[in-house]
Amino acid sequence: MRHVGGSHRGLDMWLLQRASAIYMALFLPIFLICALTAGPLDYAVWHGLFDSLSMKVASFLFIAAMLAHAWIGLREIFIDYLHCASCTLLRLALYFAFAVLYLACLVWAVDILWSVR
Amino acid sequence: MRFRIYRYDPESGAAPTVQEYELDFDPKGKKVLDALIAIKDTLDESLSFRRSCREGVCGSDGVNVNGTNVLACVTPLEGLKQPIEIRPLPRLGVIRDLIVDMAQFYQHYRAVKPYLINLDPEPENERLQSPEERAELDGLWECILCACCTTSCPSFWWNPDKFLGPAALLQGYRFIADTRDQSTNERLDFLEDPYRLFRCHGIMNCVEVCPKGLNPTAAIGKIKSLLVKRAL
Repeated sequence: MRHVGGSHRGLDMWLLQRASAIYMALFLPIFLICALTAGPLDYAVWHGLFDSLSMKVASFLFIAAMLAHAWIGLREIFIDYLHCASCTLLRLALYFAFAVLYLACLVWAVDILWSVR
Repeated sequence: MRFRIYRYDPESGAAPTVQEYELDFDPKGKKVLDALIAIKDTLDESLSFRRSCREGVCGSDGVNVNGTNVLACVTPLEGLKQPIEIRPLPRLGVIRDLIVDMAQFYQHYRAVKPYLINLDPEPENERLQSPEERAELDGLWECILCACCTTSCPSFWWNPDKFLGPAALLQGYRFIADTRDQSTNERLDFLEDPYRLFRCHGIMNCVEVCPKGLNPTAAIGKIKSLLVKRAL
């Protein structure tokens, strides 16, 4: 019997979007509590907050989760709204452009986070 | 009572219009379908719409009333803002007036193979289920395929040819959840697709309009959970 299945894609994206949302939902309140209980928010306190390796790593993961979440969200929007006959190329170009842009943002975030010493 | 009803006859070549009707009608205890029948009887016999059982079982009189998809036969006239605006279900082609072309909707329904697939030899009497297994099907089998949910879903509006829509996905899950069915894996294979299933963003328009009070979003969530379980 001939069997026509789905493309077996979409589940990983959907899962990653949920996972990144959970990480952001956990990180943000914890970060806010840390920031608000660290004392007056002046340069020295803010600098001290990002001094520890754990905060650097946690912030890096937050930014990575946010960018992944945003990229998947954009992908959903492109699939929803760009479906003319010649839009496949445009969609691919947009996926690529935003992937490059967001990866650049991630590298930039690493540079900023690890410049705190 | 005042009505504004969408009129379109493709054979005439004229563009669609909205026609106003003034009907002397006591709305007490009456439904939208009663008013449509009264308009057809007394004011305009050319007005076309589908109806059959007039009690919310056959699912043939799905229309858009004041911006919401409803079954005309179970929607009370009382409490509706006048003029009552009645349009065909959104996004499906109009055959005439309030009659839409359901071909795309049925195509998606057929695609999920809405029947039991079990290759075992047929038993003497019937394939048995425990009461608990049977209870899993409640909230799934009641769908009457009126298309109110699917045509209220923006994901269906944007990708009507690829996204299966809430009604077909609910029916897909109805057979996935059936312990007598042996084709769960193939069904999940078919559904695992960015378009067929994952266009659903869970905005729950389908739940809001379902005249039978069903929850396609929950069924779609259960399909996704099964896909995750299978993948891990």
